[in-house]
Amino acid sequence: MKATLKYMLLILGAVVFAYPFLWMIAGSFKPELEINGFSLWPSKIVLDGYRAVFTKIPILRALINSLIVSLSVTASVVVFGSMVGYALAKLEFLGRGALYLLILFTMMIPFQITLIPQYILMVKLGWTDTYLSLIVPAMMSGFSIVLFRQFFAGVPQALIDAARIDGCSDLRILFRIIWPMSRPVIITVAILTFMASWNDVLWPLIVIRERTLMTMPQLVTIFVTGGEAETQLGSLLAAATLLALPVTLTYAFFQRYFIESMASTGIKG
Amino acid sequence: MTGSRLWNSMRPRGRNGYFFIIPYGAFFLAFVAYPLIFSFVLMFNRWNIVTPMEWVGLKNFLRLFSDPLFYKSLRNTMLFLAIHIPLQAVVALGFSLLLHSRVRFRGVFRALYFFPVVVSGVVVTILWQQLYSFDYGILNKLLTIAGLPRIPWLVDPDFAMPSIAVMATWKNVGIYIVLFLVGLQNIPAELYEASQIDGASRRKQFLHITLPMLNPTIMVIVVLSTIGGFSLFIEPFVLTGGGPMQSTLSGMLYIYNQGFYFSHMGYAAALGFAFALIILAVVLIQRKVIETDRTA
Amino acid sequence: MRLLLTISIILTILPSGCSQEQPAGAVSGSTAEITYWPAPNTQEIELAETLVLAWNKLHPEIPVRMQPIPVSQSTEEVLLAAIAGKTTPDVCSNIWPGALHDYTQAGGLVSLDQFSDFDSVVNSRTPRELLATFQSSDSHYYQLPWKTNPVMMFYNARLFREAGVDSIPRTYSEYLAAAKKVTRDIDGDGEIDVWMGERDIRPIWWQRLFDFYPFFIGASGGSTLFRDNEVGFENQAAIDVFAFFQECYTRRYFPKTFFQGGDPFNLEKKATNFAGPWQVAQVQKFAPHIKFGVVPLPVPDSHTGPVYTSGDYKNIAIFSTTRHPREAWEFVKFLVNPGHDLLLLRIANQIPVRGDLLTNQIFSEYFAQNPVMVSFARQVPYTRGMDAVPDLQEIFDAISQEYEACAVYGRKSPAEGIRDAAERTRVIIRWNQ
Repeated sequence: MKATLKYMLLILGAVVFAYPFLWMIAGSFKPELEINGFSLWPSKIVLDGYRAVFTKIPILRALINSLIVSLSVTASVVVFGSMVGYALAKLEFLGRGALYLLILFTMMIPFQITLIPQYILMVKLGWTDTYLSLIVPAMMSGFSIVLFRQFFAGVPQALIDAARIDGCSDLRILFRIIWPMSRPVIITVAILTFMASWNDVLWPLIVIRERTLMTMPQLVTIFVTGGEAETQLGSLLAAATLLALPVTLTYAFFQRYFIESMASTGIKG
Repeated sequence: MTGSRLWNSMRPRGRNGYFFIIPYGAFFLAFVAYPLIFSFVLMFNRWNIVTPMEWVGLKNFLRLFSDPLFYKSLRNTMLFLAIHIPLQAVVALGFSLLLHSRVRFRGVFRALYFFPVVVSGVVVTILWQQLYSFDYGILNKLLTIAGLPRIPWLVDPDFAMPSIAVMATWKNVGIYIVLFLVGLQNIPAELYEASQIDGASRRKQFLHITLPMLNPTIMVIVVLSTIGGFSLFIEPFVLTGGGPMQSTLSGMLYIYNQGFYFSHMGYAAALGFAFALIILAVVLIQRKVIETDRTA
Repeated sequence: MRLLLTISIILTILPSGCSQEQPAGAVSGSTAEITYWPAPNTQEIELAETLVLAWNKLHPEIPVRMQPIPVSQSTEEVLLAAIAGKTTPDVCSNIWPGALHDYTQAGGLVSLDQFSDFDSVVNSRTPRELLATFQSSDSHYYQLPWKTNPVMMFYNARLFREAGVDSIPRTYSEYLAAAKKVTRDIDGDGEIDVWMGERDIRPIWWQRLFDFYPFFIGASGGSTLFRDNEVGFENQAAIDVFAFFQECYTRRYFPKTFFQGGDPFNLEKKATNFAGPWQVAQVQKFAPHIKFGVVPLPVPDSHTGPVYTSGDYKNIAIFSTTRHPREAWEFVKFLVNPGHDLLLLRIANQIPVRGDLLTNQIFSEYFAQNPVMVSFARQVPYTRGMDAVPDLQEIFDAISQEYEACAVYGRKSPAEGIRDAAERTRVIIRWNQ
């Protein structure tokens, strides 16, 4: 295929994937009636949309909520996932094989089944409208366990044996020795978990009703569907832009890690 | 003897494993086992949380079998998948082939194509709601400029779900471009060289080497997209509320409405169970159909 | 990482139970404290504060504590959860009649007719015929009708005049004839500039409270959806309403898309609007230059008699967790005395459910200053509320879907649409028995 044709197609693709976002950002600054034009340059910068967003909804609070929830979940999944993964890979105990199968099984359960009962559990525990309901049910993930187990299985047994002879407990072995050499898998699990946690809207919609506790995507969803901003496009686009901002910034710096994490999980098929 | 003492200290102590997995054990009981069991109980009851549970036996399932909205949501999901999966596979394959060949700035393109994946679905939905706007959206503006009639993307029952399928493809195709790239890179070059010696055309190479070697990746796309399609929620929730005329009512949205809008928890649980069974069945069928013999 | 974990743990332990309400009437000592929940909008909170202050001055031995309902949830959800958790207030003035069945089924409310002066209080205030519609199926009254927002037709006088519409349309034919004149492209750019009306076309159940439902009550001469616990809308009146809206959409008098940049009535992009008194303050604030009028909704051509409409009531109820029912009732009576009904008018722009609004001297100054509200006051005796049936939301949802299929997309005839809506309603009732 001719090189120019190739580049044209690739650039067309880039436009298709990038232009809408640029339009959105530009639109959030445009005067209301101009928004639906093609140009990416506002005739004058208008901040009404942003003003509406900041005054009508506690968006900064939501950002903090999302950060707290997603960081906690990520930390927990990484820590506990690596623990179980290590146990499955390197420790011998009765029922190890059965546990692994069980974990694989849990990964196959569609959340359509567990959604309602988990919500009811939250109600019974009184955790609705608290961080607990957002963090605890997500604290461990079968997927992370499987990834860790696979990676740890490749760690030379000799290393571990040597540490044991030195009198290290397994906990120490895991966190002091194995972790430092597991950067790729830790980063992968961390990124995937963080992204999934940050972008989840369905669960927060169900368990959180109090505005000041909503996660950022959830709050923006309520803002958009709730009719407060409905006819003011500027506010809609401003809310969307603000929501995209944290991830975009992270992505700008760490995109290689994002992409590689995704790729490495696909190899398993 | 020192030998056996050495051996004893090296052998993993049987108890440590349990210590490591106890947290997960507790988690599993509370957040996997209990919900599963409770779900099985709930689907035979009627409950709105406020008043006590009421046993209704198979009534929820009887209702499900005669519920036109249940079938509608199934049909909608099938329509979504029928458009989304092929479109995604073709576009992803196309771009990955382009990127796999010797091009410069590959990293930049890849990063751009991948960006919609990481952005929240809410952002994408809000954005496309404007793009798809019948009177004011720029997609229809483009059509008008080209002299074509405007398309009722989200306000016509026949167009709404396809529009959502296109939007979902735009959002997710980046992952599959990356996965295909990895798959392509893993195809040994010798295979191509050998076939070239045999005089195989580019087309033959593509059909007999590339595609079969990419089979596992294609399988991943199909399975993940299927599960994703059945989990479709935020897009119809924000864009159309399930309309117009219930044409974008997804399974998940229907469960949400029944459970959290109308407080029919028992029926919602039954719906969840039914959809879970269907998903498993569909994925199993797909595995059978798509997985070709790789040793060929 | 550890710091963040610590912070998150602390934050969860802290009162995130700010969303939980205090148990009702829990005060030590001899005072009988009453908790009161008003509706969560600014005007009603302002009204509530004024009323509570006045009461506490007069009755320091029965202090009333006001707590607003969290905005993010629907009041019905909050109240149901509170009933389940036994954390209900003593008095709430945001009782939606449509949810009454849910509240009473859970045993959450106190029957008001147990109080000896109930009859005299309500009969001096509310017309008899209207009051009867708030009675529950067990012949008790669990709600006191407080305020109503009758849905009527707003029209833009200038747009009518410029289009050559001389008289305000009162029947469907007149409305459609006026629509033909009004809906047009004025500046020749191929896009319609003025529409006769506009409705949200999404099948969201409560949108029907501003088109199908009030029109049906009007067309049926004051009947609601159910009659004697049977489906009561499978009749010509409902078919007429569906047919009317179908005409509006097929002839493109109503648009099928959203407007950009604000309320289309305020932007003078549509000539009529079906709304309640809250719209008055809105228009006066955002578009004070618009000269508008308010009239009863259009009715089928063959209609005779007064024009009824839906009232979107909010009522007052006392909850069964109260430890001081007598005192709570005194407070309720306080809320609905004429002077305070006047405050409801002044501060919140909402109509008290009174039959004497235009005859009682207390209100004459207010109506002299706000002539537009007179139309609403006149409409009060001719309003109807909701049926107290379970699953009202789901029923409206089904009706919405049929409305969408028939009126907006023209895929069913009105007769078919009503037939299917009635059938689906019966299924819903049957399944939830």
